[in-house]
Amino acid sequence: MNHFCKEASKLQSDEFERELTLSERFRLRIHLLICGACSNYADNLKHLNSFFHGLRKQTEEDENITLPESDRKRIQEALKKASDSNS
Amino acid sequence: MSKEISNPENWLTDHGDYLFRYAQSRLRNEEQASDMVQETLLAAWRGWARFSGKSSVRTWLVGILKHKITDLIRKEIRNRRLTEAVESDPTSSLFNADGSWVEAPTSWKENPEDLCESDQFQKILHGCIGKLPEKQQVVFRMREITGEDSESVCKAAEITSTHLHVLIHRARLALRTCLDHHWFGGNRHS
Repeated sequence: MNHFCKEASKLQSDEFERELTLSERFRLRIHLLICGACSNYADNLKHLNSFFHGLRKQTEEDENITLPESDRKRIQEALKKASDSNS
Repeated sequence: MSKEISNPENWLTDHGDYLFRYAQSRLRNEEQASDMVQETLLAAWRGWARFSGKSSVRTWLVGILKHKITDLIRKEIRNRRLTEAVESDPTSSLFNADGSWVEAPTSWKENPEDLCESDQFQKILHGCIGKLPEKQQVVFRMREITGEDSESVCKAAEITSTHLHVLIHRARLALRTCLDHHWFGGNRHS
């Protein structure tokens, strides 16, 4: 018997990247209904996806992370130079 | 438009930290992140005339920053001249010849939000990402750590979307297996 798992794993990854065709979606959904291993794989991928999403958001919102003072000064000078040469 | 809004030094005061955090969340490299803030503000200053005022200044600045980050990654990819030769395909070892799993995936119990708080998990995760072949690693980082959409990743890496999907799929399979062995399934293997 030939298993659909290998193909299903590709389709599941693709689903994060592109819209699946109707027949791809159909085959994948039917397979997930009967295959526990692939359903777990689907969960694992969702898990990773929300983890990475959370990680990006966490850093974005972490107010303890600030522009280092020396960099701030350097940027300020660069901006001053740019605006002086323009006026 | 008032003078205060169009003064780039005020942008630095009002949005500098936010832009830095955003860049840092994508690049995970302080030096590069602050360079990106500088480039963004300079570009914003030069392009100020194009600011329509339809969005907030911050949204506009973040838009410029995103472009800068993609450009930076594209340059890095070009410099490293990533080759195809080293690409490995984990599907051959993870699936049997008949297309079934060699080792069936099991569900992961831990909550993704708790994992974000765990330094130990992040260490293992970055270790697992570090083990991926270089090209998979670069596109995977761009996609998941930097959070670019598929289209931008293809442009930056100069590959077709079909190729990207294959690389990302392989990276996900390998990463899942690595995390399962080193974190989630730790007890099963002891």
